Amino acid sequence: MKGMLVVLQSDVGDILHSRGFLIVAIIIGVLAVGAAVGVPIALNGWLATGLAWEEAKPLLELFMGLAVNYMPLIVLFTCMATWATDPIAKEKAKGPIESLLATPLTARAVWIGKSLAIFLPAYIIGLITTLIIILVMNFASILPATGHFVLPLPEALTSFLFLPLLMFALISLGVIFSLITNPVIGQTIIIFVGVLLLQVVGQVGGRMWWLLASWDYALYNLAGAALLGVIAFYLSRSLSKERIILSSKGKWA
Amino acid sequence: MSDAIRLEGISKQLGGREILKGVSFAVKQGDIFGYLGPNGAGKTTTIRILLGLLQPTSGKATILGEDVSRDEARRKVGFVLESDGLYDNKTAEENLWYYARIYEMTRPAERIDRILDLVGLWDRAKDKVGTYSKGMRQRLALARAMTHNPELLVLDEPTAGVDPSGQIEVREVILNMAYKEGKSIFLSSHNLDEVQRICNRIALIDRGEIKLYGELEQLQREMSRNEVEIETTEAIAEPLFSELKSLSHLGLREREDKCLTFVLQEGVRVPDIVSLLVRRGVEIEGVSRKEASLEEIYFAILKEAEPS
Repeated sequence: MKGMLVVLQSDVGDILHSRGFLIVAIIIGVLAVGAAVGVPIALNGWLATGLAWEEAKPLLELFMGLAVNYMPLIVLFTCMATWATDPIAKEKAKGPIESLLATPLTARAVWIGKSLAIFLPAYIIGLITTLIIILVMNFASILPATGHFVLPLPEALTSFLFLPLLMFALISLGVIFSLITNPVIGQTIIIFVGVLLLQVVGQVGGRMWWLLASWDYALYNLAGAALLGVIAFYLSRSLSKERIILSSKGKWA
Repeated sequence: MSDAIRLEGISKQLGGREILKGVSFAVKQGDIFGYLGPNGAGKTTTIRILLGLLQPTSGKATILGEDVSRDEARRKVGFVLESDGLYDNKTAEENLWYYARIYEMTRPAERIDRILDLVGLWDRAKDKVGTYSKGMRQRLALARAMTHNPELLVLDEPTAGVDPSGQIEVREVILNMAYKEGKSIFLSSHNLDEVQRICNRIALIDRGEIKLYGELEQLQREMSRNEVEIETTEAIAEPLFSELKSLSHLGLREREDKCLTFVLQEGVRVPDIVSLLVRRGVEIEGVSRKEASLEEIYFAILKEAEPS
């Protein structure tokens, strides 16, 4: 546990001081400011038509659902795609990973430490930007026009807990592949599943919009997280120092 | 007292190839042990097994009495691997702090300062490692190996790629670690001169098998091939040299300036040769038995081991 925390702390420090983090922070900052300015303008115009609360509620929940699903997903995905496996590739190529594994650290501690180090900064950025969007939508538009605060519990849970869990499971899966095979494979898995999730949210928002605010949708996310988590945990049983070392030398075990 | 390292019949197969074939040797506590062998002989694989990075297919390996698969063994050993494994984007101090935390050291600051001083990098402690020369990196890697004050250091070619002055610095650090800090040292190297200078015991591995193992001085004596060097006050003239050479029972091998080298033949003693030379009017400056150099031993063993 202690060893895992040391890896986590060091890797988070490296990510925060990297150019990749700066680029991601700028992109997400621009996105968040755009959303914070644009969404109230769009909502205010629509709410000014004088819809009754009962009519407006499902549409507002859809709007909120799209925002709170897309925002963390985009943020987590951007962060992961930018800084997920590149540091591992460098460590494997230049040798620090071998030195790290020659210490009392276990391969599993390295795996969890590195996965959390990628996930936590991404989660915190996603959390902050999503909160900003929720607060701006509600306090600048919805609350003044309707007197209600819109954030259904399933949406909140999906956005702040289940979707991040799904993304963490995806990161840990990608990191396992990066450790025991070529890091490009890990990166490809993360990007493939990430793009798939973006598509799913987009399709659900367009065709089955009522699902976004439902418990069903929240549970789908939780189930997805559990499935990826189980796969990652299963694969982690084959995670050994020998496999990591051999894959660093181009011999995938 | 348990051995610093003990390998018993270690074999390792990788990709259907047998990299190590029943490797056995022991490194005693306090030894500076040289591990020699050509490229691909199995040196790095042996080191990886010692550090728990690879699992042996069969056999047993212990470090200070602990099985190498146990965490406890890894706490007792410091290492420098083929690649220094340092983080370029961290300072020297940060690199050492990182490992100090991994080894769960309490209050490592004083130790880190001391070790940086020992390797002569105290004044560059706050500089990013990416700005270091190869020699400085190797010294820092040695410092990192020493941070948690291990009883044994495993060093895989610590002077590879380092310029001659850097090699001397690294060698001095290794000797300081052995004599000032009292560490046992396992040194894998291609640099035979370096091994001859600092190691007291060696093993030579070739194609996964140990071909030679023992105390260096004893091996040098055993493999000296009974060579005797006789120094004379003046260079031996050609006619006398030819005459002596024609006396095959003397075993005169070569003449170099004022030095004659004889390979002692059965039944011929050193005084016999000396008295013969004196009778021929040669003034003797000194007589010494020639020890085989490590380089001679190395190539003789490898040649012997070559498949016919």
